[in-house]
Amino acid sequence: MSSGHYLKSGFNQAISKLRLSIYLWLIIIIISLIIIAPISFQIRTNLRHLDLPQKALMPFELNLLEIILANQSLLSSYAVFFMVILLFSGLLSVFLNAGLFGQMLSQGKRPSFQNFLSDGCRHFWQFLLSLIVFIPCLLIFFLLFKLLSAPLNLWSARAVTEWPVIFAGLLRGLVLALLWSAFKLCLDLVRIIMITESKKVIAAYFSALNFFKRHFLRLWGLYLLLGLVVILISVILLLLNKLFSSVQPVGLLMLILLGQAFILFRLLARQAFIGLEFSYYSVKKESSDD
Amino acid sequence: MKRKNWSKAGVKYFLFLMILFLSVIPGLAQERPVHYNLEVELLPETASLQAKETIVWTNLSRDYVPDIHLHLYWNAFKNELSTLAKEAGQDKILKRFRIKKDEWGWIKITSLTTADGQDLLPAAVFISPDQPPNPHDQTVLRVVLPQPLAPGQAVNLNIDFQARVPKNGLRTGYFRNGFFISQWFPKPGVYEEGRGWNCHEYHLNSEFYADFADFQVKITVPKDFVVGACGQEMERTEEQTAGKVTYTYAQENIHDFAWTASPRFIKLERWFKGEEEVTLQEYQEMAELVGLTVQDIKLPDVRMILLIEKQHKNQADRHFQALKAAIKYYGLWYGPYPYQTITMVDPPFRTGSGGMEYPTLLTAGTSVILEKEVLSPEQVIIHEFGHNYWYGLVASNEFEEAWLDEGINTYSTSKVSALAYGAGKPSLKAIGLPLSWMIKLPAVYDWQLARIISAPVVKLDPIVNASWKFYNSGSYGLNVYHRAATSLYTLERLLGEKTWARVMRTYHQKYRFQHPRTEDFIRVVNEVSDQDLSWFFQEFFYGAKDFDYAISYVETRLKPEKYQGIFDDLSGRTSGQASETTGPAPGQKKDKFKAKIYETIITLRRYGEIKLAPGYALKLQVEFEDGSTEEREWDGQNRWMRFNFEKPVKIKRAVLDPEGLWLVDTNLSNNSYARKGPATRILSATGSLVWLMQNLLVTFSGWL
Repeated sequence: MSSGHYLKSGFNQAISKLRLSIYLWLIIIIISLIIIAPISFQIRTNLRHLDLPQKALMPFELNLLEIILANQSLLSSYAVFFMVILLFSGLLSVFLNAGLFGQMLSQGKRPSFQNFLSDGCRHFWQFLLSLIVFIPCLLIFFLLFKLLSAPLNLWSARAVTEWPVIFAGLLRGLVLALLWSAFKLCLDLVRIIMITESKKVIAAYFSALNFFKRHFLRLWGLYLLLGLVVILISVILLLLNKLFSSVQPVGLLMLILLGQAFILFRLLARQAFIGLEFSYYSVKKESSDD
Repeated sequence: MKRKNWSKAGVKYFLFLMILFLSVIPGLAQERPVHYNLEVELLPETASLQAKETIVWTNLSRDYVPDIHLHLYWNAFKNELSTLAKEAGQDKILKRFRIKKDEWGWIKITSLTTADGQDLLPAAVFISPDQPPNPHDQTVLRVVLPQPLAPGQAVNLNIDFQARVPKNGLRTGYFRNGFFISQWFPKPGVYEEGRGWNCHEYHLNSEFYADFADFQVKITVPKDFVVGACGQEMERTEEQTAGKVTYTYAQENIHDFAWTASPRFIKLERWFKGEEEVTLQEYQEMAELVGLTVQDIKLPDVRMILLIEKQHKNQADRHFQALKAAIKYYGLWYGPYPYQTITMVDPPFRTGSGGMEYPTLLTAGTSVILEKEVLSPEQVIIHEFGHNYWYGLVASNEFEEAWLDEGINTYSTSKVSALAYGAGKPSLKAIGLPLSWMIKLPAVYDWQLARIISAPVVKLDPIVNASWKFYNSGSYGLNVYHRAATSLYTLERLLGEKTWARVMRTYHQKYRFQHPRTEDFIRVVNEVSDQDLSWFFQEFFYGAKDFDYAISYVETRLKPEKYQGIFDDLSGRTSGQASETTGPAPGQKKDKFKAKIYETIITLRRYGEIKLAPGYALKLQVEFEDGSTEEREWDGQNRWMRFNFEKPVKIKRAVLDPEGLWLVDTNLSNNSYARKGPATRILSATGSLVWLMQNLLVTFSGWL
């Protein structure tokens, strides 16, 4: 089958189960609002009656900076709050991923919030375990990254002009992204195998590695191709932002809508990645079983 | 074989003309205590210097001087126990300097004799004049003279020294074959009559202090190197066989000498022409402002030399434009630039020497990716050129009272930048790329940002403080540069443009080629303004206290038509169920009186410890919904004050200090009240934060 088929299949699966992205969006926006609430409270308390004439003494952004600096003493307690919420979000993410994979891979069934939550509960421990097993893989990831970026570091360190430093920095970023996508591909496949074949974590890792022996490059290529499409659409969405000014209510409304559309798009893209990988895996698995 | 570019006769003639020229400029003809003659060779392969120096030091005091204290600054980079390295190690916030293995720098005197051949080296000792003493520091050398120098007597010291350039040093350094050489030669401190030598160790947060001197410096480098230095190039001699070139530079009446050499420089020259850069109207307005004639303030031509890295050559115009603006406005405000040249250096990459000032030479620094709206390198160029006025000409002690140059110069930079360019966007980068490519950043004036970022450190240290005695580098930088500049902006607004312009010009002219202290500045402010502003300096410069007045609470309520209660007179006569109305006056028709009365109560508070001096008051301006305004004044002595207004309409807005005089207020966001605040902006800010958090969480959840 052609690459286009897999990409199309990935997109179709994502679109047909769009409501999964909406569930995720809903949960994520609630957590974001909780995290931002204390800051928002400070901003409102300090600035809701600020007089901001046409020719103000300073731009509003500096008022924001001023009140953050004036309330520095609160920052340390906020940092603790933030870390706790982040830790909770980490566990919640594992749960959400379990729900997302569970619903994405359930053929024919229309996703519902209840099923989403129940899949999250069902696969949570397996997903957490797969993540824990993934941690040693991260060591290999960092080792590989260090190895691959060593010549770039050397090039950068010896440079007598700025360009090599900038290029080396960008290339390091690219190496990091490529490597990460390869490792992430592996983790996602492990989870697909765990759900579709009801395998245990270690067995799923072995199956995934076995599968990669023959299909890694093609699947990775597809993954990157999809990644490129996602980046292009993201850039367009972000460029659209520049058309609106946040000073006017209409512009602000458009910016908020665009911003939320971007978040939804990112979640949908995540679904498309899973759909693509699942579709590729299923086809190849079937043909090898035959 | 040597090849001279200039004939000897030509050089002599030029020197004569220069001396003639210099002698007619006020201040340049006065006697200087130090004369330097230096010969130095740069050995790039070992990153070292071989040098000979002759110092003629004259005792201009009425004291008998038994010794000379010499700065050997590069020994600060010698080991991990130098005062600089120790202070850098303690500074957890800003890692401004980190010494690394195999990158040490040092200076070693190999011979030190008087003119008659007496060896002074055996009796020379390293001293640690500052508190706490550091016996390991070798940045100050005490040289005992054979006999005390009588007033007016001079001593001639012949010094041979070797030095290793510190890699990635502080303000000086090298990277591969690019060198920036400063604070590189043995240099006497400043002898202060009755107090002795003022010669401090090299500290992390301090800069320098030296006497005015005449310099002649010969610099030998490989012939493919392009050289720039303080002063004027007088001669260039090439040794063909050795592949070396010796440059001779000379400059009178400066107090430091720095130079740079790199094969990657492009050298460009342009002229600042006083007649072309300043219009007659500008001259007239300035003359009127400072009370002089146009002729008095005319600006001379200045040769501008730019040494720019090849990678930045397309930015030459931006460099020259900024320098022109600086020469123009500093010249108009404080007095003409008295030297013939100014050399602007885009320092060799990774030499750690960008953004630094030397007499007649400055280093800027730029990036290959530059945005139009970001005023970098412009503001750096303006600032470092400005130091030729505040440090170069008015040579205050940067060790002990850094605000006198950094604070005044930050204030001046901000003014020049605002006039020449307007507001600029902050230069923020992520992985080498401008952040403004990704997010919208507001354009701000320097003074706006300065007052905000310096507010958090007001209680840490006073502005007037020895540089090494600040809580940390952050407190030093923010207090000395930005808090001081904000305080000066406040003074300017309090005194008015005209008086302030005269204050600054008088101070500069009075102390050109001298070493004024804070008290001298205060004296000039008081004399020219004809006010006693000592309290202002006491509070804002010598104290570590904050100044914050605010509108703390505003309440508008409908005044009741009737008040309940018992209302009787002295005789005890009551009207039963008594009431007092806010209704019509006797005789006024009741049906015509239907307007409501609103009572507005505004509570002002003094959150800061500093209070206004007697005779000063804060203005409160209140605007009501019908467009009417009212003003009140508060002397600010108590912790709070309440004002009541009765109007047929509600309050629309209130502003404390509506003219924005007190920029030194640490929180201006609490100085106003608007019944309808900036709801859209607040929603936008909150929305952006939520969106950022959502993205973070989406990314985070994708990884897990």
